[in-house]
Amino acid sequence: MSRIEVDRERCVGSGACEALAPDVFEVDDEGVLVVHGTEPADGELGDVEDAVQACPTRALSLAE
Amino acid sequence: MAVDVASGLATGGPALADIDLSDRDFWVEPPEVRHAVFDRLRAERPFAFFAEPEIPGMDVGPGYYAVTRHVDLDAISSQPQVFCSGKGAVSIQDIPADLHEFYGSMISMDDPRHARIRRIVSKTFTPRMLERVVDSVRGIVEDVLDEARRTAEANDGRLDVVADVAAPIPLRVICDMMGVPAEDRDQVLAASNVILSGGDPELIEDQDEPLAALFEAGIALAGIMERLAAERLERPTDDLTTALVTTEVDGERLTHQEIASFFILLLVAGNETTRNAISQGILALSDHPEQRARWTADPSIDKTAVEEIVRWTSPITWMRRTATQDGEVNGHRFTAGDKFLLFYAAANRDPELFADPHVFDLTRDPNPHVGFGGHGPHFCLGAHLARREIAVTFRQLFEQLPDLEIAGEPARLRSSFVNGLKRLPARLPGVR
Repeated sequence: MSRIEVDRERCVGSGACEALAPDVFEVDDEGVLVVHGTEPADGELGDVEDAVQACPTRALSLAE
Repeated sequence: MAVDVASGLATGGPALADIDLSDRDFWVEPPEVRHAVFDRLRAERPFAFFAEPEIPGMDVGPGYYAVTRHVDLDAISSQPQVFCSGKGAVSIQDIPADLHEFYGSMISMDDPRHARIRRIVSKTFTPRMLERVVDSVRGIVEDVLDEARRTAEANDGRLDVVADVAAPIPLRVICDMMGVPAEDRDQVLAASNVILSGGDPELIEDQDEPLAALFEAGIALAGIMERLAAERLERPTDDLTTALVTTEVDGERLTHQEIASFFILLLVAGNETTRNAISQGILALSDHPEQRARWTADPSIDKTAVEEIVRWTSPITWMRRTATQDGEVNGHRFTAGDKFLLFYAAANRDPELFADPHVFDLTRDPNPHVGFGGHGPHFCLGAHLARREIAVTFRQLFEQLPDLEIAGEPARLRSSFVNGLKRLPARLPGVR
């Protein structure tokens, strides 16, 4: 099972992840990234991997 | 090696000794000439050193390294502690103290302050929030294109792609988001043209005192901000100006300087960059009619087409970083204080990253361009908004002005920083 990890020091709330996996990632009203369920379902994993790749500040990672 | 026939980039190219990126006249050369130079630098001198251009009123600094390979650009961009923005990101020289009031925004700031300030507005620019404004973007585009047709009807079918199509769309979108009233739009446009003029003599009349014009443009936009800010403090709305004047960072409101420079950054960045992507996207489609036909017929390629327009046009040519310490990047040794210009326009044609980089291909996928910046905290805040605006604009263009034809040479902005068009003559042949 993969787990989404967010480096809060790096995240600037760009929303690149939200564009690719809107069910999993949301930048809230404070500009802070909220992850809905840190362990993505199998059907979501592809989008989440794309989101990890797309993060402009490399703030996202997937841990086993 | 595959080469774009139109650009002729396969042959010879410029001699290294003749290349000077600080020569302002170089920047009005057509794209194929500039890209031939970038190709030569990228291949043979990826950290080429140049003396700084002389600008009246500014101290000439030690010079800069021109970064043209994608691998180097991204390495520098993604190490903000080593290569900072706080010494200046949008000018080769450090910003003079009296201009800091207006131009010392988060784009020239480092974390943690940068990140805290950016979060005030980041929510507004997320894809989810922009879903809500997409209808209003479409409404603006429809209005602007209707008006462009009326302009052509009143002028024997002639119109200007920049003034009548590309400029008013992002201008109206960002002014609406900021809450700037319609009657102030012309002033916003005029001021931001001066701010991003790169000293172009058409926009800066007194060439001996370019900073005075920058100062006046800053005063004009700050004046709009002060009036709006007072109104929003009295009666908050859901616009960006309200967010700037009411949000607290670390328990404190932003200072007057921070609000003014933030307001100016959003207005200027929000309308100049997308304008130039649209105008030069239209030009690229005119040069590549088969691509235009393909996109017109197939909305399913909107996403890749927009990315290719951003890669192809690279509206912002470079951003600056400054070394905070001695070190080495991909074999290049540097010392603290060294300046680097990250040439996005060059990295976006890097053959190491892009197959056939000088081919305009609206279905290019993957397209890991750096048109919105490289990896790092300063990645374009407005990227999602710009993508929306570009996608809607071209789809509506195909619907509303399908007969638009380019009717003359573009007038290019003499700026190294903004890849801009001042005018692009066009016509609607059926309109008389």
